[in-house]
Amino acid sequence: MAGQNVNLPAESETREIATEESTLFATFYFGEHFFGLPIDEVIEINRALEITPVPKAPPYVAGVVNLRGQILTAINLAHRIGLECDSEKGTNSLNNVIIGHRDEPVSLLVERIGDVMSVPKGQIEPPPDMIAGVDIRYVRQVCKLPGQLLIILDSEELQAPPVESHKSEV
Amino acid sequence: MGMEDDILKDFLSESKENLELLDQQFVELEEEPDNAELIRSIFRTIHTIKGTSGFFGFTTLEGIAHFAEDILSKLRDGVVAVDEDIITMLLKAVDYIKAILATLEQTGKEPDDTAYLDFIVDLRNFAEKVAKRAAAGGSQEEAPPAAEEAKEEPAEESAAAEEEDKAEAAEEAPKDEPAAKEETHKAEKKEEEKKETAPPAKSKAAAPPVVAPQLTETHVRVDVHLLDKLMNLAGELVLSRNRLTQIANQLNNPDLLTANQRMSLAVTEIQEQIMKTRMQPIGNVFNKFPRIVRDLARNANKQVQLRIEGAETELDRSIIEVIKDPLTHMVRNSIDHGIEPPEIRVQKEKPSAGTLIMRAYHEGGQVIIEIQDDGAGIDPEKIKAKAVEKGVITEEQARTISDREALMLIFQPGFSTAEKVTNISGRGVGMDVVKSNIEKLGGTVELQSVVNQGTTVRIKIPLTLAIIPALIIRCGDQRYAIPQVNLEELVHLNSEAQAKDVQVIGSSEFYRLRGQILPLVRLRNVLGLEGGTEEADGGVNIVVLNSGDRQFGLVVDGISDSEEIVVKPLGSHLKHIPFYAGTTLMGDGRVALILDVVGLSSYLKLKGEESLQQKAAVAEKVAADEERQFLLLFTVGEDEYFALPLALVNRLDKIAATDIEMVGGREVVQYRGHSMPIIRMENFLPISPLAEADHYHLIVFHMNGKDIAFLVSQIDDSLDIAVDVEEHTFRQEGLLGSAIIKDRTTLFVDVYQLIQMYDPDFFAAPQTETVTGGRILLAEDSTFYRNLLSSYLEAAGFDVVTAEDGKQAWDKLQAEPFDLLITDIEMPNMNGFELTKQVRSSEALKDLPIIAVTSLSGEDDRRKGLEAGVNDYQPKLDRDQVLEAVGRLLNEARYSQAA
Repeated sequence: MAGQNVNLPAESETREIATEESTLFATFYFGEHFFGLPIDEVIEINRALEITPVPKAPPYVAGVVNLRGQILTAINLAHRIGLECDSEKGTNSLNNVIIGHRDEPVSLLVERIGDVMSVPKGQIEPPPDMIAGVDIRYVRQVCKLPGQLLIILDSEELQAPPVESHKSEV
Repeated sequence: MGMEDDILKDFLSESKENLELLDQQFVELEEEPDNAELIRSIFRTIHTIKGTSGFFGFTTLEGIAHFAEDILSKLRDGVVAVDEDIITMLLKAVDYIKAILATLEQTGKEPDDTAYLDFIVDLRNFAEKVAKRAAAGGSQEEAPPAAEEAKEEPAEESAAAEEEDKAEAAEEAPKDEPAAKEETHKAEKKEEEKKETAPPAKSKAAAPPVVAPQLTETHVRVDVHLLDKLMNLAGELVLSRNRLTQIANQLNNPDLLTANQRMSLAVTEIQEQIMKTRMQPIGNVFNKFPRIVRDLARNANKQVQLRIEGAETELDRSIIEVIKDPLTHMVRNSIDHGIEPPEIRVQKEKPSAGTLIMRAYHEGGQVIIEIQDDGAGIDPEKIKAKAVEKGVITEEQARTISDREALMLIFQPGFSTAEKVTNISGRGVGMDVVKSNIEKLGGTVELQSVVNQGTTVRIKIPLTLAIIPALIIRCGDQRYAIPQVNLEELVHLNSEAQAKDVQVIGSSEFYRLRGQILPLVRLRNVLGLEGGTEEADGGVNIVVLNSGDRQFGLVVDGISDSEEIVVKPLGSHLKHIPFYAGTTLMGDGRVALILDVVGLSSYLKLKGEESLQQKAAVAEKVAADEERQFLLLFTVGEDEYFALPLALVNRLDKIAATDIEMVGGREVVQYRGHSMPIIRMENFLPISPLAEADHYHLIVFHMNGKDIAFLVSQIDDSLDIAVDVEEHTFRQEGLLGSAIIKDRTTLFVDVYQLIQMYDPDFFAAPQTETVTGGRILLAEDSTFYRNLLSSYLEAAGFDVVTAEDGKQAWDKLQAEPFDLLITDIEMPNMNGFELTKQVRSSEALKDLPIIAVTSLSGEDDRRKGLEAGVNDYQPKLDRDQVLEAVGRLLNEARYSQAA
């Protein structure tokens, strides 16, 4: 896992704090937004995998991907959290952040993979009432970095399946 | 000698199985000391061993079996109560028997070891003690003092044997060596201590628990997870093989092809073998039911006899696990709601004990499980009333749905027919759960019920879930897999054939497949894909599918290949989509979705529901138990609506007014290279005439080898509907009656009669060896069909007498002579099968030719009909076939009479 060689922020003070009370985040970008997930919630990061579309799937589901014989649901992060994304060009070029539990991992499609980052716990705040263009339901916390806001996503909520309702009707 | 060897082998293998069972039964017995059936079963097993060992002259074995049987007989007769000591002793005896059998298997001789003789002595003493206790009548009391001394020893042993009992006896699988050693370690130690007389080495080999490995050397106990893993690996292997085959075919290198072929065979074999390791007899589940049934019956104060058939039928263990709960639920339902209390059964002239049959068998790559009771059956009216009360359906819907549909309501969520909630069922966990569980397995559930005769639930499930044969089809730029079990056939229509045989009516499409009307579903529409659909030649590919309760055609872009696919589940975000059963990996590593045929057919039903709503909103008097049929609705003049059965129609066409020619005073059109007469209905019926127009529609019939058409102004719609035809208001020549459809009075056209009015000779000519002048009894409850059938039978020159149900038909058969009986299957009072059986069992009528006619043509019904003794089985609406059958049977009957 990429988590072993961590690119820490440059300042040495942060490093000190990091050894005590800090959390590692895998970060990634979609559009202008900068996102992070606690590293222990990420299973692996994968370059573009071929996506097989699933007609009639919920709009945020881009399709399914084959990860070494295991078939995962691919969730388009932008569609999931309500980002305005103009990059409809090709979901196949997106990167896969595989998250979740052993029984059913999910691939989160993101535009660009960032570094793994250590953030002191003290800098982590509860989410504001609003973040432009992002459904706040999926935001667990935020962290104000110099010049950038790291949006820490709620992976449980991202993975939460649609409310069971249709199946029984059919 | 050879024969004796064979017998010995049989004896050994049978005894082995029985002994495994015994362990389990003893444990059960301990929990349930009063279970007489259990005691009898154990007794029988031991008794068989005793008898056979006597036959072979195995004296030690016979001795042990004899004394064990002695003790058991006391238990069986109830003179001694089961207690821990007795069970322990008996279990010990079983262990010794196993050890002897193991030696027998290896050497063909009994073991030569004094330990066995010692045990016989112990056992005999114990048996005597039990006998004494029995004589003292003190089954519940303490053992008399005299026996105390003797008791000490067994008690000590019991501690040892109990260990085994707990650790091992409950295990159903045969033991492998290390496991057995571990489990019986303690027992072994004590055994050794006790039997110091026996040489240590031997004691180790011969003391019962240790010998076990010999007995079971052909079996190894394997962790289930290991098997699952193997199965997954086999799956991966199959995928790699598929990929390799593709590459090999591309490269076309002969060496590679040969090597690949050889590997391919091995992979297939591996897959099959691994699959087999996962197969278990359904008996593993069924065997739990005698007990369940007994308890349920006792709680409900009912008498129930359980019959189990086909317990050896094998299926995948993952299915076996899942199937148990649904089965239990259905058995509960049968006992709770199905089988009546004894006193009511006696009133109904049924045996006071109800019969419950659990049956399993293989059919066409699937496993069929049936649960059948001879109880009260399910009254569709009650179901409907209940469904309305619970808000599952509206009152209008209740009036329009058929009995079959009403029965299926039981599977709706929130539905329970129990009039009173008992502690067995009616607790809100409904049949809907059963249905969804079975559908999750890729199976289907059907329900058949006859009031006062019982209910049969039939479950069809695939043999295995892991690797299934599938058809790969293309749609859009993706591939999809369709499980082979649902596949009936493939049809490719070129554009010409498509224009001819695919009919677009309203928003639905139909294809006429060998006389059957097949609703079509376009996969592109279902999946909401856009873009061009057809093949290069403008044709269509139709995959004919069977979803259990109906057949339909799936129109796809292309058909690729047949492949073994590995089923992988869909993620929770996609599970709710009804059209997919899972996913699979193709040979090239790409993912394909597996289509769920039941789900696809529900798409069809959804469409059907629109028409159901139309019906519900409208129909005042639509009898529920009329059979459903596809009707074609059309108009001639303004505001007059007509209907005829779609199945009679050969095709629909549109012509320009200028295409109509007058030839010999009759109107004809050029059609498929010849002149086809066209009928203006207003010439024969008192209806407003066809309005002048540039174009007309033709309803073309192909009968008696000829084409003929009705000229109409508009084709309106087609409906799958159950209608009650009111025959009094509009009954006249050329009309069968009327009904309210879509809020309008609609006249039902008697196609046959109308054609005959137009051309009295139309049906006369080339019928094969036309037989005329026969008396036919027609039993048919639906007015519509009765009139239709008698109309074309009379037109063909037969004398037709009608009856409205099987009972009436039977009375008429008694009163007057008939040459032939035509009977519907589904009828009130007495159905077609029963009528047939009754006729066949009557001395005077047993040779009467019988034709069963039906609106549905299931292979199952056909089989049942032939079993009941009908001579032929035909679809009602197929005049030519029915007449052909009538002619043939009458000819045969006359010929055999003359002979």
